[in-house]
Amino acid sequence: MQKGNQLTRKIIGRFLRAISVAFWVMVLSFVMIRVAPGDPASARLGPGAEKAAIEVLRKQLHLGGNPITQFFSYVNELIHGNLGVSLQDGVKVVDIINRTLPITIYLILLSTLCALIVSIPIGTYIGWSGKGSLVYGFRGLTAIFLATPNFFIAMVGILFFSVRHNWAPVFGYDNSFPQNLHYLWLPVAVNTIILSSVISRVLFSSVSETKDEEFVETGIIRGVGRRRFFWFYILKPSLAPTVVLLSYMMGTMLGATVILETVFSLPGIGRELVGAVLTSDYPVVQGILLYFGVITVLLSFIGDLIAYLLDRRVKI
Amino acid sequence: MKLKSMSQRIRAWIARPGGVGIVSGIFMMLTLMILGLLVPLFGNRDDAFVGKPFAPPSFQYPFGLDQLGRDVFSRVFNAVGVDLGVAFLGVTIPLAIGTIVGIFLGLNRNKYFLSVIGSIIDGINAFPLLIIAIAALTYLGPGLKSVVIILSLTNWARYARISRTKAVVVTQQNYIEAAKTLGYPKWRIVLKHIAPNVSSETIAYALSDFILVITVVAGLSFLGLAARPPAAEWGSMIADGRNFIGNAWWIVIFPGIALCWAAVSLSFIVEGLSRRDRGV
Amino acid sequence: MSEQPLVIIDELKIDVRLTRAKRLPIVDTATFDVKRGEIIGLIGESGSGKTMLCRSLVGTLHRRGAYIASGKLVFDGIDLVAAKGAQWSEIRGKQIGYVPQSALAGPNPVMLIGAQIEEAILQDKNFPKSKVKERAIELLNIVQIRRPEVVMHQYQHELSGGMKQRVMIACAIAQQPQLIVADEPTTGLDVTVQAEIMRLLLSIRAEFNTSIILVSHDLPLVNQICDDIVVMHAGTTVEKIPSKDITHAKHPYTRALYDSRIDLVEPKGKLTTINGQPPTVGSWPAGCRFSEWCNFVRDECRVPQTMPIIPLGPDHYTTCIRYTELDK
Repeated sequence: MQKGNQLTRKIIGRFLRAISVAFWVMVLSFVMIRVAPGDPASARLGPGAEKAAIEVLRKQLHLGGNPITQFFSYVNELIHGNLGVSLQDGVKVVDIINRTLPITIYLILLSTLCALIVSIPIGTYIGWSGKGSLVYGFRGLTAIFLATPNFFIAMVGILFFSVRHNWAPVFGYDNSFPQNLHYLWLPVAVNTIILSSVISRVLFSSVSETKDEEFVETGIIRGVGRRRFFWFYILKPSLAPTVVLLSYMMGTMLGATVILETVFSLPGIGRELVGAVLTSDYPVVQGILLYFGVITVLLSFIGDLIAYLLDRRVKI
Repeated sequence: MKLKSMSQRIRAWIARPGGVGIVSGIFMMLTLMILGLLVPLFGNRDDAFVGKPFAPPSFQYPFGLDQLGRDVFSRVFNAVGVDLGVAFLGVTIPLAIGTIVGIFLGLNRNKYFLSVIGSIIDGINAFPLLIIAIAALTYLGPGLKSVVIILSLTNWARYARISRTKAVVVTQQNYIEAAKTLGYPKWRIVLKHIAPNVSSETIAYALSDFILVITVVAGLSFLGLAARPPAAEWGSMIADGRNFIGNAWWIVIFPGIALCWAAVSLSFIVEGLSRRDRGV
Repeated sequence: MSEQPLVIIDELKIDVRLTRAKRLPIVDTATFDVKRGEIIGLIGESGSGKTMLCRSLVGTLHRRGAYIASGKLVFDGIDLVAAKGAQWSEIRGKQIGYVPQSALAGPNPVMLIGAQIEEAILQDKNFPKSKVKERAIELLNIVQIRRPEVVMHQYQHELSGGMKQRVMIACAIAQQPQLIVADEPTTGLDVTVQAEIMRLLLSIRAEFNTSIILVSHDLPLVNQICDDIVVMHAGTTVEKIPSKDITHAKHPYTRALYDSRIDLVEPKGKLTTINGQPPTVGSWPAGCRFSEWCNFVRDECRVPQTMPIIPLGPDHYTTCIRYTELDK
């Protein structure tokens, strides 16, 4: 009874948080465009633009008139799913996002999957064995990977696999399934290296904590079978922190893919964002930001939920 | 005799957990900073066409020349000041703001005020630093100065959260209660007891945040949003050399190594300190 | 066969591996028998090696980097010193049940209670799957858990300390072992709960004729339910004594423990009535290890030597060379 209540309260809480994040994105972008030095409309259109054109743009950006009524009309449009149109080519922001977001998500999910496949055995093995030299090497290596910016790893990757061996294309994309892997494998590999360093580190430390717990001893003495022991006595009790971290990392991954998509010229949402920033395409920036905010909040909620289902000790 | 005991003491200090990491990290960092200081002063060759463009690394130009015939070696070490300086400002300003805001929030009892500020902090923290920096650059326009401003405006929220949590914990400690009952003035309790406790926590975070901020600054420059050519900055140098990686790898690799060097040395220090803290 | 004790521990020595070359003795030496259906109380403060002694009985010494250096350890005619992986999996969990230390740890936090009991039952590969649930409830009834159907679907953090320990006992007796090793099963529980658990152990012995090694630092508590008491100090079993004779203990350490009637406080092991800190592992005094704290100490006690085991009766021995003078 009580547990159910707790869960619903948590879900409502997260929902409110997603709304509040979205709200602050709206407020901030609304305020920023006013506070920023110079008139954004005339700045965008460049010197010598016609007065009438500037006026039209100002209206599109909700710049004229009373700020408060403008804010309400802006919010009202957003609530009705109208994120505006790109100042660059007049395409609806929603359409831009719908076109580019799947590629980014594909990239992130693929890297996460690979990272899990790599890091679960490594983290568990090193945590369980606890061998001094192994731990030392593992920590040093992952520390280096974590400190290295992803675009540099990507450049090194390009140097080896694209320039020297021509195994990976430097740019271009194909949307259909098996072909896209040809373009995606190198960015995915770069992401995987970084992500699995993080995951295996966290898993390593929680496995080495779990290992010393009394119930593990009891399990050994009980004579639990190998596979069962690995899941119920080592991995499952150690996974909760990893899952929470993973969901948090997803947000960071969004940031990482912005750079990776630029490096590999992938037509994802990150490159779209950079392009929009460089051309002062305000509606596109706002729309993408709104999506990112809601996605991060949602992901962290899903992470917490999975962690709770794995391990009821986790507070939700 | 005394000298020996000194060296023994140092050796004993290194032998404690994390000692090797801390020492090698500091050593790496110092090397970079000294070179970053000396190279611009002596033998600076950061001009176009000091030699043939795309000249590979040689004795004369150890890191080779770039597409404009500039000496990559000089540029890499000229960039030390820019990269570390911007990152330093991008850490210390938010550190100061966040710590103070956090203490203030930790002492505040106004529920509505707290929830509004709390939701702002949550809102900012919901975004990865890189994304929020990119977004804010739309409005401020690209440039290193904007990057520092943006980092100050956004990164404080992470510090504020840490600082607030710690401040709340500290205020509930018995000795704070005791100090209150003894009638010490509030500012004195804050300065003497709360601030030192809180700041030790936020400074510890700042050290690891430094790594993140260095890569974010370089990343923004790589995207062409912070330092812009022809400024010597690692991220923009890497972006510069990107188009020529096929025939002149050194333009990309050396600034990249410098960037890694800086970040890795910091991460060794952080790792070492945390191991020392935990005593393993 | 019935003449033969179930467990024979004879001059058992356990070392822990510190580095490649360094070894540290943590049990040196332990000697006692456990007869069938007998409850032995193994008493000692922390660091006295009692937990390691338990681990040697369930074959998990290597997890702490320890191993049996010398001596004899026999269970039901099987030499446990030489036992290998396959042999161990036949013995532990099946013939030797284990109830872990401290109620704080307890059952696996990520498994339902029912799943764990069923897991314990199914260690017997021939057990019919259809009857597992029935048997699990039966076990929970044996350990006197009310509403077992509900508890089966709960996680450990939803249970009280006493309940957790009951569940652990239920798991331990699932295969009807001949021996239960209970390592501090009641530490940290309420006094009333402690008494209930003790009574439960007694009733299990009465029902299944199980031998129990009950490890504790609380001599007065354990003395009420044990047949014999084995007292450990600084890695040595200093005295074995039938619990009814406890008032006539022939080792000053046992007396100190009993007369003070004060709990040796775990885990730091501060002796309230015995002055000073207990000896730490690795810095044991030569000769009698209790000599520095003993009121009866003479020079001959401090002579470096292995203290002899002096039999005083069928289930009674002491290692105090001056035992005759204790009552003067």
